[in-house]
Amino acid sequence: MSGTEPGLLRGARALRGAVAWLAAGMAYLAGWNYVACALFITGDVVGRQFGYSSAATIEVTGYMLAAGIAWGLAHTLARRAHIRVDVWVNRLPLGLRAVLHLVSLLLLGSFAVFAAWAALELVDESLLFDAHDNSALRVPLVIPQGIWTFGILAFCVMIAVLALESVLSLLFGRAEELDRLLGSRTIDDEAAEALEAVEMAREGTAP
Amino acid sequence: QAPAALPPGPKVNVVAVTQPLPTQPQFTRVDVPVLREGLAQRSGGRIEVQLSTHAERNLSGTELVRLVRSGQADIAAATLTTLSGDVPILDGVDLAGLAPDIALAKRIAEAMLPVVNRDLERFGARLMVIYPFPAQVVFCRAGFTSLADLRGRKVRTFGNSLVDFFTALGAQPVSIGFPEVYSALERGVVDCAITGTGSGVAARWPEVTTHVSNLPVSWALAGYMVNVAWWNRLDPQVRAMIEGALREVNEKQWELGAAATRDGLDCAIGNAAACHIHTLSTRPMTEVPATPADQAALREILEKTVLPGFVRRCGARCGEVFNQVIAPVAGVRFGG
Amino acid sequence: MIAVVFLLLLLAVAIFAAATGGQAVPVAEILGLTGVFLLFFGAGVYIAAVLGLLGILIGLTFSDRPWWAFAGQTLWGPSSNFVLVAVPLFLLMGEILLRAGLSDRLYRALNVWLNRLPGGLLHTNIVSCAVFSAISGSSVATAATMGSVALPYFNNSAYSQRMVLGSLAAGGALGNLIPPGITFIIYGLITETSVGALYIAALLPSILVTGLFILVILAHGWTHPLPRPERLPLALKLKALLDLVPTLLLMLLVLGSIYAGFATPTEAAALGVVGAAAFAAIEGKLSFRLLNASAEATARNTALLGLIIFGAYLLNYLLTAINVPQTLAGFIGGLPLPPWAIMACILALYLALGTFMEGFSMIITTVPVVFPIVTALGYDPIWFGVMVTMLVEIAQISPPDGTVMYVLQGMRPKPGPITDVFAGVMPFLAAYLLAVVLMMIWPGIALWLPKVMG
Ligand code: NA
Ligand code: NA
Repeated sequence: MSGTEPGLLRGARALRGAVAWLAAGMAYLAGWNYVACALFITGDVVGRQFGYSSAATIEVTGYMLAAGIAWGLAHTLARRAHIRVDVWVNRLPLGLRAVLHLVSLLLLGSFAVFAAWAALELVDESLLFDAHDNSALRVPLVIPQGIWTFGILAFCVMIAVLALESVLSLLFGRAEELDRLLGSRTIDDEAAEALEAVEMAREGTAP
Repeated sequence: QAPAALPPGPKVNVVAVTQPLPTQPQFTRVDVPVLREGLAQRSGGRIEVQLSTHAERNLSGTELVRLVRSGQADIAAATLTTLSGDVPILDGVDLAGLAPDIALAKRIAEAMLPVVNRDLERFGARLMVIYPFPAQVVFCRAGFTSLADLRGRKVRTFGNSLVDFFTALGAQPVSIGFPEVYSALERGVVDCAITGTGSGVAARWPEVTTHVSNLPVSWALAGYMVNVAWWNRLDPQVRAMIEGALREVNEKQWELGAAATRDGLDCAIGNAAACHIHTLSTRPMTEVPATPADQAALREILEKTVLPGFVRRCGARCGEVFNQVIAPVAGVRFGG
Repeated sequence: MIAVVFLLLLLAVAIFAAATGGQAVPVAEILGLTGVFLLFFGAGVYIAAVLGLLGILIGLTFSDRPWWAFAGQTLWGPSSNFVLVAVPLFLLMGEILLRAGLSDRLYRALNVWLNRLPGGLLHTNIVSCAVFSAISGSSVATAATMGSVALPYFNNSAYSQRMVLGSLAAGGALGNLIPPGITFIIYGLITETSVGALYIAALLPSILVTGLFILVILAHGWTHPLPRPERLPLALKLKALLDLVPTLLLMLLVLGSIYAGFATPTEAAALGVVGAAAFAAIEGKLSFRLLNASAEATARNTALLGLIIFGAYLLNYLLTAINVPQTLAGFIGGLPLPPWAIMACILALYLALGTFMEGFSMIITTVPVVFPIVTALGYDPIWFGVMVTMLVEIAQISPPDGTVMYVLQGMRPKPGPITDVFAGVMPFLAAYLLAVVLMMIWPGIALWLPKVMG
């Protein structure tokens, strides 16, 4: 089967792999950014007991959250973890199911493109206002909003390469691959992840 | 002069987003009767104002200029300091310590209105009215007799000029979101917090604090903006009628500001006879009267810290504007 | 299916009201939008996209304003909201604890004390979930953690597989109800209610629900008796208590720091993360790999929630802009029904939605519309917050769609049909519903503690 795989599809898969790899990198940064966030807030709470407070904690951690959400979007899609209501769709025959997966992805794509456009407009408006926040640091809003927008744009790119690969799979009559690419995480995926985490906990412990 | 009635014509739907919460007297006692009911009645039903508050529209208050500019609302009101991230000069109208009494605050507001509009109109918005909330005063969970006693205490503040002010006092400004302030005061995460006299009572702060100062540190001045393109497009008679309504709003908000300042304090200290606008506190607080030393400290911090801080954030031009427009009224100059 | 029927009924009532009220309600458009909504759901479209696109369609159909010019601000506002920062922090704390192996010790320690009761190990399932909930803010995390620990104990045992799975699912559904909880944070954010007060209000109801669960297991234990394990020496039992210490310390850190005036509820979540990492370090488990895996899982789960928030806030902005919540609140408030009947309808709606919607998306899409009605009826916002959280938790364990049940199904060592989970959770579901009814009759269950402590 793989011997007859069309080159076009192979190329699309390689492209998707590369984007997914970058998206994973962004998601790890997003995750570590939450670790930093916890340290920052803890520092502020403890510092307050000794008469020191950053006076910008609310604003800065808010920006960290925004960046974290946006930079995790693409990776979450690649891991098929965004939530869908799929009670009915999973009972349909493979051919129909594959088409519906693609339709869902394209609908998500149109919402994502709208969100990215709106985010770009927001950055543009903040530039026009030369807007700063009201914290002691007077952070220019363009910086956090720009970082946030970049994450949403990366999400759009992830959707685009996934859509490309899906369309090609469908054209070459490989509905099964499309189902594996876009279908919701199976229950096994969820369980495997939980078990992996528990495995980590058991390491080095005597049985 | 506003027309007393309108000739028949097409209906005018106005979207207005004013005041943070629908329960505030600024909303129930002014916006609802004047803007919604008054305009509908006087125009014979031609002008219909769809009125809502920030909370109902899920807005934080910092984005109101953008709301008006993008045409989501035709009229919007918000406190000037929260808007100052987008339009820095707005902060200068209401600096901490600038106006010890409400009459002076009003004169400063009137003098600054045309000046700030030069900045605002670049963004397609125009300020029509500047109005006050009750005086911003300090609520504490332990006793104090003067501002100097606040040294070393954790004070929940908002906005740059108040942060500068409390830092200069030797207090420690803490930034906590408004919804969390009540429990922060209750548990002692902060020792004190500043807000309007009436707003503090409305947020049930007397339950978690014991002492309230009567020294107005600032006035939380706020303003009604209109979308300029919409305003210019209006039928002239309709426009004149709305303008008249906004003038009425202006008068009533200043009257309310003066009345609500004292009323909020009376409600907080459990003086039932004088508590009409807000709800009477079940746990009466102690009122801490302002001393001449407090007044002097306020003025000194304004000159030495708050004003230079404002000019640093806003730019040299703001210093010039301040000296031209506010200095003659308030008697304080930037740069001596 | 119940949900679809219910929604259609609601729509019929709205149309009837519009027809008799004589106002020009755009019935065709509303019908069209409802159809699109149902079609989207049936086709398995991403929830965030359904919400967002529905918002866009509503804007294009009903709004005469350039609402798109404010869309960026609408998405940015909640993304950068400080109160929501607690969500990834609680998730991160749970991920670290899971990988540090706290859950295993917790389970073993409780087991020593509970396994001689009628129903045996099943009690340990419930109680260990309840205790874990007091440090974790997520139901799925609670079920996944305790499930992965507990299930191996039941290998080749005589216990009813259905009851095992049911009790773990039910225990997981305590995750958000027992403070701290993400649902409360979201609810507090939307309604501007104090999260601290919500936490206190939830204490008695969560004890009530846990108690009812234990009664369910006792009843099962008496009707299906199993041989009791040997009585263990007291010294061993006392020693086992030591394993509870880290959990109790973390509880003390998170809740204690709030009530001792050290931190706000949002900040307490950050302290919890640092505490969890410290605990992992004491166990000798704190490594780059552990933090890295926890960070990735947190980023993924936060992005998943964040995308839904994008869609929900856009939809919410447009619904508010065309005055839907206010109109609906006015309409329902004016119905010739006593308040409790309207409240019962609202609760039934949540129950129906919960059969096919995920809890978090449900709360964020419905509360902005329903909350004004609830306050107009004179109900207490704190009480309603606890009720909604209970209904969200019920949604997580109500077949056919519930994340908690799916996760457990996937972790079964021996495969079997998902209907086992469905059947097993039923008695617990009934107990949970009984608690909701009791809360409806005696709101004091939730409101008494905040009053006493306030
Ligand atoms: Na919890
Ligand atoms: Na469900």
